Amino acid sequence: MPELTMAELGYKKHLKVELFPTIWCPGCGIGTIMMQLAIVLDEMALDETNTVIVTGIGCTGRMGSYLKHESVYTLHGRTLPVAEAIKTVRPELNVIVVAGDGDTASIGGNHLIHTIRRNANVTVLCNNNEIYGLTGGQTGPTTPTGTKTLSSPIGNPNTPINLQGIVRSSEHALYAKSTVYHLQHLRNVIREAVEWDGFSFVDITSQCIENNGRRIGFASANEMLTFYRKTYKRAGKGAQALAQYEIGVLYPAEHPSRNGQTDGAAGNSHRAEAQAQAGPGTEAAAIPSVPTEKAKPQASDEEKARRRAESQKKLALMQRLDPAVKMRVAKGELTLVDALREAGIDPAELEA
Amino acid sequence: MRKLVQGNEAVFRGAVAAGASYYAGYPISPSTEILNIASAYAAAHHQTFRFLQAEDEIASANAVIGASLAGAKAFTATSGPGFSLMQEAIGYAQKVGVASVFADVQRVGPATGMPTMPGQGDIMQVRFGSSGDYTPIAFYPNGVEEAFRVTVDAFNAAEESRSPVVLLSDTFVAHLNEVVDLDELTADLRVVPREMPPLARHVAGFPRFFAGVLMYESGPSAGEPATADADEYLRQYYDAKHRHLEIAGHYRLFEHGWNREGEVLIVCYGIVSRVAAPLAADYALFRPIRIHPVLDDELRDVAQRYREIVVIEANDGQYADMVELVLRREVKRVPLLGGRISIEAIRDGLDRVLAGGPAEPPIPDAPNERRAPSPLGIG
Repeated sequence: MPELTMAELGYKKHLKVELFPTIWCPGCGIGTIMMQLAIVLDEMALDETNTVIVTGIGCTGRMGSYLKHESVYTLHGRTLPVAEAIKTVRPELNVIVVAGDGDTASIGGNHLIHTIRRNANVTVLCNNNEIYGLTGGQTGPTTPTGTKTLSSPIGNPNTPINLQGIVRSSEHALYAKSTVYHLQHLRNVIREAVEWDGFSFVDITSQCIENNGRRIGFASANEMLTFYRKTYKRAGKGAQALAQYEIGVLYPAEHPSRNGQTDGAAGNSHRAEAQAQAGPGTEAAAIPSVPTEKAKPQASDEEKARRRAESQKKLALMQRLDPAVKMRVAKGELTLVDALREAGIDPAELEA
Repeated sequence: MRKLVQGNEAVFRGAVAAGASYYAGYPISPSTEILNIASAYAAAHHQTFRFLQAEDEIASANAVIGASLAGAKAFTATSGPGFSLMQEAIGYAQKVGVASVFADVQRVGPATGMPTMPGQGDIMQVRFGSSGDYTPIAFYPNGVEEAFRVTVDAFNAAEESRSPVVLLSDTFVAHLNEVVDLDELTADLRVVPREMPPLARHVAGFPRFFAGVLMYESGPSAGEPATADADEYLRQYYDAKHRHLEIAGHYRLFEHGWNREGEVLIVCYGIVSRVAAPLAADYALFRPIRIHPVLDDELRDVAQRYREIVVIEANDGQYADMVELVLRREVKRVPLLGGRISIEAIRDGLDRVLAGGPAEPPIPDAPNERRAPSPLGIG
């Protein structure tokens, strides 16, 4: 079994594991998204006092009830107005929207366009399984042309909606695409999106084996994941757009060099810089409705590099501990410093 | 300071006086002034008041819900067609218990109808517009000063009942200009503070899950769906219903006046009660200000003293139906349709129904020659 990082052990404190098993079908991809989100929340030290989850109707919408965060389970398609208003009233909160493709792009499509236009400082995690799963498998806005569903028995005659194009129509929004097979990539882009100051959208391809996959020829969820592994490739650095089977992050035009990067190093201090140059109050006076406060903990690139080095150092020290002790540290029963001392390692090495 | 204030402006000033700090809206006649004033106010008071011009009324209503859950006293204003778009969100706010205020400045419908003409056609939409059962609270002032006071009442009732309270108005009340002293009115206001902890200020370790779907809210199953448990539905439904009725009981707002010696009681509300004022010499008046829940005890008490009851309203008998249900006796109706709210129309209708005639007025044949298009605003 591979070594687990502290974050991977600690993420469960973000989940109401007492409510498990979840309502999701065996083989569903939503749990994977939830786990990666929980790991990111843990890594970023976001908790119930500073983070709110807003979910829509559909299988994905139920995620809010399994996360140990305050959450609003909105009407079908209305996640974004609710999320934007929460962020406006309480800029200090991180607002994370989790919704399916139908909720986000079909019934909530108009809200998506306009929330992007207003650059609301919220993060959208879109579970894109290309189907209306909860109602049994009808054609959704992202269902590929030709796919047979309960509501398109001879194949979907329409082309799927271009989410990338919609999000990229904004000068400020961040667009990322990943799949539930590429766990580390998915985690990195979720983190990038949550840290992004402004609207961010993570388009997550995931499998719905029960109400889509089987009908289109997959025998199991594993086959669908294998398909993702074989077909999806990381976009090259500097990519200006993602092809159909490419995963990666696309930053607004001011950050062309960062496109395709997924290492978590790309901060975005550009808004703060622009605001500082424009002088205080200018932006607020011009557009009072847009939350412009820098609420999310925005770290500079140096700060992020320092944090990363620190966590790597911690991990390296952790590796030298007995696995049982390591588990106690991860659970928070023992501080790392005490554990190191007990193991005869000088805690000063942490500072070195 | 005494000065000329418009009805719509009084609604906004009342909201601010009641502690409102968030407005979301979409332009629609005849409520648009509230949106305009809110945007100007937000620009000048950015730290204390937030404004969103949403992409549609669906977004406005849901933004109000989000803002309220986040801790702001939030409201929106619209008119009939927009109010229809908000109905699903109002049902959500009823289910979840979101304190909020929805102002509906009525015009002639259905659909786009006669956008600049006054109507009162949303009385039943307020009561039954969203799906399922709920007990809405709604007020309807008939003047500028009252619009201010009743807006404050609406916000207070919303906080106390934890529900979306509807503030009704109409084209004429909205655009009425009267001289009032709002500063004096603001001086000793009762303002109910927010009790429910806002999002992320909950009891540590017990995050809440605000859901439109029926969930167990406490006890061993807290957080689990209760979508097939009728008992849980009954608990939550009656808890809300009793709370709304109890709070509504603190706002038994109505006017009983004019010539109380008369034999005929006229029931009317909103702008119709202002237009009907010249009837004061011959008729008694009952004017409900709290439209929902209907003022049953008050209506029964007043109505028993009169031989005839005539409900005059700018719709085809929506409130009259409720009066008839409450009183269990026949009431006569004078519907003022198509925006024709005039003393002449009222007198004609009264004479007709009191003489035993039908509620429906005589309708002239369509003219043969081409008519000039109606001027915008006056028709």
